[in-house]
Amino acid sequence: MPKAYEFIDHTYDVIVVGAGGAGLRATFGMAEKGLKTACITKVFPTRSHTVAAQGGISAALGNMGEDDWRWHMYDTIKGSDWLGDQDAIEYMCREAMPAVIELEHYGVPFSRTPDGKIYQRPFGGMTTHFGEGIAQRTCAAADRTGHAILHTLYQQSLKHQAEFFIEYFAIDLMMDDKGVCRGVVAWNLDDGTLHRFRAHQVVMATGGYGRTYFSCTSAHTCTGDGNAMALRAGLPLQDMEFIQFHPTGVYGAGCLITEGVRGEGGYVTNGNGERFMERYAPHAKDLASRDVVSRSMTIEIREGRGCGPLKDHIHLHLEHLDPKVIHERLPGIAETARVFAGVDVTKAPIPVLPTAHYNMGGIPTNFRAEVINPTASDPDATVQGLMAIGEAACVSVHGANRLGSNSLLDLVVFGRAAAQRAAELVRPDSPHRELPPDMGDLALARLDRFRHAKGDVRTADLRLEMQKIMQSECTVFRTGESLAEGQRKIRAAWAKRDRLNVTDTSLVWNSDLVETLELDNLMYQAVAALDCAANRTESRGAHAREDYPQRDDVNWLKHSTVWIDEKGATKLGTRPVHLHTLTDEVKAVPPKARVY
Amino acid sequence: MVELTLPPNSRVQPGVTHPAPEGATRTKTFKIYRWSPDDGQNPRMDEYTIDLDKCGPMVLDAMIHIKNDIDSTLTFRRSCREGICGSCAANIDGTNTLSCLKPIDEIKGDVKIYPLPHMKVVKDLVPDLTLAYAQLASIKPWLQSQTPPPPDRERLQSPEERAKLDGLYECILCFCCSTSCPSYWWNTERYLGPAVLLQAYRWIVDSRDEMTGERLDNLEDPFRLYRCHTIMNCTRTCPKGLNPAKAIAEIKKMMVTRRV
Amino acid sequence: MAIKSFRSPLGRARGTGSTGQGTDHWWHQRLTSLALIPLALYLIGTFLAYVVWGRSYASARAWLHSPVTAAAVILLIGVGFHHGAAGLQVIIEDYLHCEKLKIVALIAVKFAAGFLALIGILAVLKILLGA
Repeated sequence: MPKAYEFIDHTYDVIVVGAGGAGLRATFGMAEKGLKTACITKVFPTRSHTVAAQGGISAALGNMGEDDWRWHMYDTIKGSDWLGDQDAIEYMCREAMPAVIELEHYGVPFSRTPDGKIYQRPFGGMTTHFGEGIAQRTCAAADRTGHAILHTLYQQSLKHQAEFFIEYFAIDLMMDDKGVCRGVVAWNLDDGTLHRFRAHQVVMATGGYGRTYFSCTSAHTCTGDGNAMALRAGLPLQDMEFIQFHPTGVYGAGCLITEGVRGEGGYVTNGNGERFMERYAPHAKDLASRDVVSRSMTIEIREGRGCGPLKDHIHLHLEHLDPKVIHERLPGIAETARVFAGVDVTKAPIPVLPTAHYNMGGIPTNFRAEVINPTASDPDATVQGLMAIGEAACVSVHGANRLGSNSLLDLVVFGRAAAQRAAELVRPDSPHRELPPDMGDLALARLDRFRHAKGDVRTADLRLEMQKIMQSECTVFRTGESLAEGQRKIRAAWAKRDRLNVTDTSLVWNSDLVETLELDNLMYQAVAALDCAANRTESRGAHAREDYPQRDDVNWLKHSTVWIDEKGATKLGTRPVHLHTLTDEVKAVPPKARVY
Repeated sequence: MVELTLPPNSRVQPGVTHPAPEGATRTKTFKIYRWSPDDGQNPRMDEYTIDLDKCGPMVLDAMIHIKNDIDSTLTFRRSCREGICGSCAANIDGTNTLSCLKPIDEIKGDVKIYPLPHMKVVKDLVPDLTLAYAQLASIKPWLQSQTPPPPDRERLQSPEERAKLDGLYECILCFCCSTSCPSYWWNTERYLGPAVLLQAYRWIVDSRDEMTGERLDNLEDPFRLYRCHTIMNCTRTCPKGLNPAKAIAEIKKMMVTRRV
Repeated sequence: MAIKSFRSPLGRARGTGSTGQGTDHWWHQRLTSLALIPLALYLIGTFLAYVVWGRSYASARAWLHSPVTAAAVILLIGVGFHHGAAGLQVIIEDYLHCEKLKIVALIAVKFAAGFLALIGILAVLKILLGA
């Protein structure tokens, strides 16, 4: 252990890392069950990126027309391009209704129907009767549903007196020699102290790695720290090549414009003013799945039919909507469009582009949120003491492509599942084994190395290099060549990690060091995404290979797994997809062609 | 007594000047408050003249550009960069606002950036908001009811009842309003401040909440509520266009009408 | 950073609790300011008529000899000092942060306002009831 550092030790039944939607739901769920729980978070809970979710949360409540959770399940499986685990999808869609009702009972200010029920809007890929009609399934609080839910979950955490360690940056997991997770090492930005949190269960709720891209809808803080911590702990990540591009990010700024705009009747046009989605998805049109719309837009631009003087974007129209509808249902995007695109949405279309948005991949788990480390004999073997939820996890309910409004659902359903599972696994206040004395030293060494990094490469420059590589080589459409180029470049960038330079050497709120640690975390995930993408020689969901345009169920109806060591060497593997259901109340959906 | 001058260790000194990069044609100077807890020095104003063609349109873009390319020790909070997380609040050009929503070209002359006023500074532009968060917790900002909710469906709420929450629930807890309020400056410990009172009112008018009376009782105090002297800085400064002053006035109105 | 107190933030925020009053003070300040408007207008009007244009001690005494005027002046003094004291109290609470000084100032303002109001009212009564 480097000298001059001293640990402050803590012992809890459960530690949750991350205070977004999933982390908060798990935290107060565990506190409610009598477990001694603490939540470590690098930002104040209501600053987590769940706050930026707009459109809504799906649940087959049937408030605005007929609905059935089995249709929701079918849509989710089809949306996932059959890569989703059907047992987990069944669990999520069935639990959706009680989960959303529970949110309402907690006080989420949902918009309402005239008879006082939760308002629901149509969303991409959400249908009735197994693809026949359009479902109104997405429960909304205007276009600020994520904000409404995240604040409510924080309020519930206050109510349940959950314990928070705010602006603590988690550095690494503490794994013992038997492969059991024993806790986590974190750095308190406020006073510069270092902490060891010992726990029976550690729950990773650290979100996605959107910031591997130059242009993304994700916050600056979406750096997938938990995923990288899992990799450094010798655990695999799963399906890292599946990265969702949201069709409607503001051109230039990248800020999200919700799919709810199209749910409320908005549509996209190309430079000729044509509603081109009618050609690509004759049935669902603008409400096709996100991967389909993003690809269609990219093709339009590529074939010279983009909008604007450079023909490099697409127009999203809502000026035909009643201003009252915009005011009541879409006030937030009207503001975003005004500030970031200079557009009055009642008069002019918003310039948009497909923008990196969501990571389907992450730490593999089962539907109980337990982390999986597949072995040759058991592809579903769990890791003792470790759970993962939310965007950090790959349950996998989203498979190769997530449907809009299924992510807020994923957060609350699996946040709650984690709390239930932890309550089964951990007896409150059960005794802890001693930590080996050198536990946490690796994390400290890592911190110390970057803190005193005095090379010739600026953190921001290396980050930009990585983001540009991902932006150009690992985008909506991919080819073997572009991916190979990406792999070569990212390896070159990886090598520069040893030459980084950190100017600020303080331990109090050293954001220079935080950004460097985050960049290191991002690099692991960029490598994982590129290697997995190059390896998967088919097109499925968000992974569109121009050299392999067809889905290949014979060879690739399976999850990809990836391990990365300290030197950046990857080991690739696969895991079978669960094509069976959890109960016999619903039948499994066998793979078939995916047409919208 | 109210102190009209800063204590000696808080007086702001001139700082380091970073000149414009060579060849820059469109430049702008940013004067940014810097203070580190580590070196025992007084706060200082560092000057950065930047090339506007090298950075985005918002003040936050400029701050990130400075951190990335000129001085990586500059410290500030930021996350969503689209005005919904509330991290990047600061005093910019004399007004509290979110740096991600403030266009640089709206500011005439040099851009002065200070941390949110009258809060303890942790470092540079990072204020300590612990007490404000605790004040939020003190008003019990969660749904309270005795009537059990229906077991398998939502509580009903009419669109009109729900509309009363508009302009209240959207608060992002950036605390631009509270830290712009002189009354909050003078009585931080005892006055709840506009942000927290807005939240208090959000629960008072929620038709699903049954603790309206208790919530009003909790605010029935010369300091917690009545330090509001309708100065209106809160409403003027709110980067989300909310109106905390009106919410506070509504609370006072309820206080009076419930006793006449 | 020197730590001055280990009290929890929530403990600080809750402080000594809600006093259960405040509305009266705030409401009375509004009510009295409302009452002061017609009182002041009426008195300025009649004062101008009798005293300024009358230009004699006798006309001033006559002015105060009317029960209506006397009542209005007594009300003005009472309400005015009440209003003034309430306003001063807020200013003291806002800006005086030394507890001892604050309490002394608050008491002094209340006593002074009461005493001065009483002197004024007695003076009016003396003229009204005197010969």
